[in-house]
Amino acid sequence: MRKTIHWRFTMILLLVGFMTAVQFNSMKNPKERDTRDIWAIRQDLASEKRFHSELLSEIRELDKTILTYKSLNIENTGRALTQTVDKLYRQAGVTDVEGPGIIIKVRPSAESVALGLPITGISPDLLTRFVNELNRFKSIIFEIDGKRYSILSSIRDINGMTTVNGLNVSTPPFSMKIISPTYADSEKIYNYLVASAIHDDFYLDDLILEVGEPEMAVEIRGYPERLENQFLEELPKGE
Amino acid sequence: MWLPLLGLVLGISLGLLSDIQIPQVYDNYLSIAVLAALDTLFGGIRAHLQQVYDDKVFISGFFFNIALAAALAFLGVHLGVDLYLAAIFAFGVRLFQNIAVIRRILLVKWTERGKVTNTNAH
Repeated sequence: MRKTIHWRFTMILLLVGFMTAVQFNSMKNPKERDTRDIWAIRQDLASEKRFHSELLSEIRELDKTILTYKSLNIENTGRALTQTVDKLYRQAGVTDVEGPGIIIKVRPSAESVALGLPITGISPDLLTRFVNELNRFKSIIFEIDGKRYSILSSIRDINGMTTVNGLNVSTPPFSMKIISPTYADSEKIYNYLVASAIHDDFYLDDLILEVGEPEMAVEIRGYPERLENQFLEELPKGE
Repeated sequence: MWLPLLGLVLGISLGLLSDIQIPQVYDNYLSIAVLAALDTLFGGIRAHLQQVYDDKVFISGFFFNIALAAALAFLGVHLGVDLYLAAIFAFGVRLFQNIAVIRRILLVKWTERGKVTNTNAH
């Protein structure tokens, strides 16, 4: 008799414990309400899709590299490696590049010349703004006053002078060059820049932006200094 | 004594590990079911201590109470009256009463045992 009572109590307590735990679980993790409206969701979806396609193109590129490595015999392996290194150098912005692009000139505005206002250099903020504006376009290469702008480049104020890669940007007029993958891209960038509101920002600083027509061949010099590598390390050989 | 406790621990761990979640709509029902189960449990312990424990009453009470409470909550939801509060109130009061009775019985037992050991010692 006692034993059966114990079993009954055990079963009931098991049920009670289970139900309490489930209740606890349900209380502890209230599902966060999704308050995004349809446009926010569409935007998220769009950004995910963009990411997806970027990843896909990256995969395609890497697949191509693998294929090259596979199809080559031993003698040509060295050449394939050199090709890859060249490609990486090109990506890092170390090599000279030639391609379709546009040349933009920064000049002091006509009013400031007429009024005899002193010409000041372009401010780092304005230059950064312009670079951000350009960075809307993917895989473009550009140069500011002869200084190659790469991923590691910085626009800074050093002792009152605006610098790119630590080198002074001369007082206007100076020119900037942009190279895009295709001529059509150059046209797109040209159209965008002609209509851009960035002109107003330049005008406030008594500068004007002269966007040149797209050209078939624009040349940009490579990043002249050695790239500093702070985070990547070479693996010991044979591992 | 240990077997029921083991059951409780087992139940809790099972519930926590299985990571089951009840939709928020049914939260009320589950909380009431837990309360009904606890009420029946303490009722059973009391009956056991008072030596009036009956298997049928215990088991039927357990399921019937849960069903009744759930039905009441369901009705309440559809009538727009928080009827489940009535069930919570009833079960809560009974829970306290049962626990009070259990406490008294245990106290009496304890004092009696003290007396017995005292008389044995003398």
